[in-house]
Amino acid sequence: MKKIIDVLPLAIFIGLVVVLFSFLSEKDDQLETVLIDSSFPEFSLKALSDDSRILSKDDISDLPALINVWATWCIACRVEHPFLMKLKEESILKIYGLNYKDDKNKALELLKRDGNPFEFSIYDFEGRLAIDLGVYGAPETFFIDKRGVIRERHVGVIDEKVWETKFAKYLDE
Amino acid sequence: MNRLILLALLFFSIGSISSNDEKIIFNNDAYPFESETKELLFYSLLIELRCPKCQSSNLSGSNSPISNDLKREVYELVLEGNSSEQIKSHLVKRYGNFIIYNPPVEPATYVLWFGPFILVFIASLIILVIRKRVTK
Amino acid sequence: MIPELGHIILITHLILCLIGGTMPLLAEYTGLKIFQIPIKKLSVFLFLLISISFLSLVYSFLVDDFSVAYVAQNSNINLPDYYKFAATWGAHEGSLVLWILAMNAWIVGFLFFTHAKDRDFLASVFSISCQVMFAFSLFTLFTSNPFERILPIPPLNGADLNPSLQDFAFTVHPPLLYFGYSGLLIPFAIAVSAMLFSKETKEWAAYSRPWTLFSCSFLTLGIGLGSWWAYYELGWGGWWFWDPVENAAFVPWLLSVALFHSLITSQNRGIFGKWSILLSIFAFATSLLGTFLVRSGILTSVHAFALDPERGLFILGILAFFIIGSLMIYSIKDFEHGEDKAYALTSKEFGFLLNNLLLVVLAVSILFGTIFPLIYEAVTNGKQISVGAPYFEIILFPFAIGLGLLQGVALYLSWEKSTSFDFVSRLLIESTSIFALIVLVLFVLFDNLYLNSFATIFLASWIAVGTLQVSKKRNLGYWDFLRKRLSVTLAHLGMAILVLGVGVVSSYSLEKEIILAPDDSIKFGDQVVKFESIEDSLGPNYFSKKAVISFDDGKDVSNLITEKRTYSPSGQLTTEAGIETEIFKDLYISMGDNLEDDIWSFKIQIKPFIRWIWLGALLISLGSFLAGIKQIRRLA
Repeated sequence: MKKIIDVLPLAIFIGLVVVLFSFLSEKDDQLETVLIDSSFPEFSLKALSDDSRILSKDDISDLPALINVWATWCIACRVEHPFLMKLKEESILKIYGLNYKDDKNKALELLKRDGNPFEFSIYDFEGRLAIDLGVYGAPETFFIDKRGVIRERHVGVIDEKVWETKFAKYLDE
Repeated sequence: MNRLILLALLFFSIGSISSNDEKIIFNNDAYPFESETKELLFYSLLIELRCPKCQSSNLSGSNSPISNDLKREVYELVLEGNSSEQIKSHLVKRYGNFIIYNPPVEPATYVLWFGPFILVFIASLIILVIRKRVTK
Repeated sequence: MIPELGHIILITHLILCLIGGTMPLLAEYTGLKIFQIPIKKLSVFLFLLISISFLSLVYSFLVDDFSVAYVAQNSNINLPDYYKFAATWGAHEGSLVLWILAMNAWIVGFLFFTHAKDRDFLASVFSISCQVMFAFSLFTLFTSNPFERILPIPPLNGADLNPSLQDFAFTVHPPLLYFGYSGLLIPFAIAVSAMLFSKETKEWAAYSRPWTLFSCSFLTLGIGLGSWWAYYELGWGGWWFWDPVENAAFVPWLLSVALFHSLITSQNRGIFGKWSILLSIFAFATSLLGTFLVRSGILTSVHAFALDPERGLFILGILAFFIIGSLMIYSIKDFEHGEDKAYALTSKEFGFLLNNLLLVVLAVSILFGTIFPLIYEAVTNGKQISVGAPYFEIILFPFAIGLGLLQGVALYLSWEKSTSFDFVSRLLIESTSIFALIVLVLFVLFDNLYLNSFATIFLASWIAVGTLQVSKKRNLGYWDFLRKRLSVTLAHLGMAILVLGVGVVSSYSLEKEIILAPDDSIKFGDQVVKFESIEDSLGPNYFSKKAVISFDDGKDVSNLITEKRTYSPSGQLTTEAGIETEIFKDLYISMGDNLEDDIWSFKIQIKPFIRWIWLGALLISLGSFLAGIKQIRRLA
């Protein structure tokens, strides 16, 4: 006579295999964004182009807008640069830059050479605003809606496809 | 596959950062404190907080730029007199619970926190019930 | 040509494993003589094949054959020869071949050292092992072929071996770990055969015990070396991080310890038969599961291999096939599992039962905690969580207390029922004295007392006294002690030393991050730390900044050298920690960032008693190995 208890290990193990199998299929490396649906954090930092100009949250005035975290040491940022230029040229929405832990001269040089898609870039050498935004690398892109609320975040290169699937819908609101 | 790796490198290339812009003011102690309690709090937080960019490391074990920024953030918060809980919730608000190696106790983690002890309890009961006793 | 030879031989190995995996079972169930094959000879032949295959891979590394993709990815012309050799198992593909080699070695060992009258039973164990090897060879050939060529134009130079793996301990750590993992194949195959043949519990437990002990011994040594490697190579000065990969090795270790203790009961008393079978199955399952977790990429980790979901699927398939298969036999077949015998709460049986209960629940908890972040993400719809050291330490603590207290009294217990309990008072008195002595020594050494270390220090004294007193009480002669009690004394004493090390290092450690320019100094504990000099230096395949830092405690001055290496082919940076080892503490320094000119940040640490952890692990490993040999000699 076999008892229920003898089948128990088998049942538990099959459960484990099923769970592990489901983990195999769905895996993305995005960190969760805690700040979604909360308002853009306050800050007070210099402008990249002008040491004497102190920027704050109120300077991000033309909403909705994208905040793009970029740097010259970030190779992927160069990949997405043309797409950002395109957004600007087609006047789809305003983009504000957050220059992250970068060399100021190199950054300005790059904007001069490849074009400047940003209304202005906030110079965050110490990564202070970046920490308040929960940034952990570059490039990252945030969507700020009309009320100044963060609605979406993308880690990695932003392109046509990412724009269509993740961001475009918030523009129509 | 190689292209994927290359892309991943592109995505996450926090590389070397030249720092000729701002001079760092230094003291021999990288994180000087006026009190030992605060110093202990600081170093214990570095052990408990996770480096968000590293694959698996706490702030204490990492020298990546973002870890150094976070260390500075924690340092300033400790100096201002914040408690361990306040500092952790400050960072959780920005990075989520991912940043702390100690998971919160909430309904979704009850099974994690209490499961082992419930399991011991149940297993002990089973053992005591099925054990064949010594008859006198 | 040589890589092709290795490839063809690996295929031959695969085919012969299929034959070895099916024939003996066919012979058993059809009763036909034609299916009978000489298993001993076949096992040796298989071992020769896999060895040649492995050696041809080694050869490809040594002659820098970069047309072999695996060599090109993991070696480099400038890599020192020794590391070229070790690079063979430095990544996924080669480590699989080594894994198969290890399984094969265990099978040969088992067949030659097990003197069972029942030839069919041995054939069945061999057959099941061959099936597992077949699955691994298939996995290797289909998803991870190390002999694959880059054609038509091979690269002129290789990408290099991951620099942090270019290190002595690392070259030895994986083989030991693989031998440990794969050793659990033997108890598994024995357990399945025991069910198929309805073997008597006492008999099969006796066959299984030495191999479980060997496996545990290798796992202990492998994990210990890995911990030592992480300590000095990764530059953060920790010895255990509760990283998923570490947990994946720790869980099978816990189960192997539980298993050989349970087997003692099964062999001596003929009880716990079913439980020992389940444990054998799950110990092997967790060793496969560890492989799955590490190599499928579902968990992120410092030690992760190149990630590939297809490989994950394949390993999960192997795991599901063998474990579900064996559990089905377990749940359906009526096999012999011994009679129920009565035992009191004070009996040795009950002690082993408690030991198993705690070890198994601990293993389940650690496994669950390791995969919990994935479950949490699924349940909460994308919210993320980290489960790390603070959690595992909280959970481990009560289990460690329970296990330690049990270990101290365990050796006094008798089968069925213990009658005399005079040992308790002596144990209490002596272990309290030892505890007080250790605390006093610590106070003298470090000028400080930490209450939170008291529990572990007491536990260590308790285990040590419990172990030594019993050996003394038995009144054995010198020779008899060596023969009968040495292994258990070493292993249990090793545990006491390990517990003491853990307790002291986790409360008495000091660490500080500092910034120094040459000639600067800073006070740290009772040491004055001074940045003596920094220079450029050139290694065979890297260049480095070498800093000399002196630690002066007023009596002795030690010069520690820490390096920041940049490996030339990959540009990868590694930190070489500077460590000065004394009996009671390590001085530790690792280089951080270059802030400007010659100004550097450093992390300095004092790690009291950290060596005791690895000394303890070494003793445990030695003890279980000797116990394994003792069991084999008993069987002969």
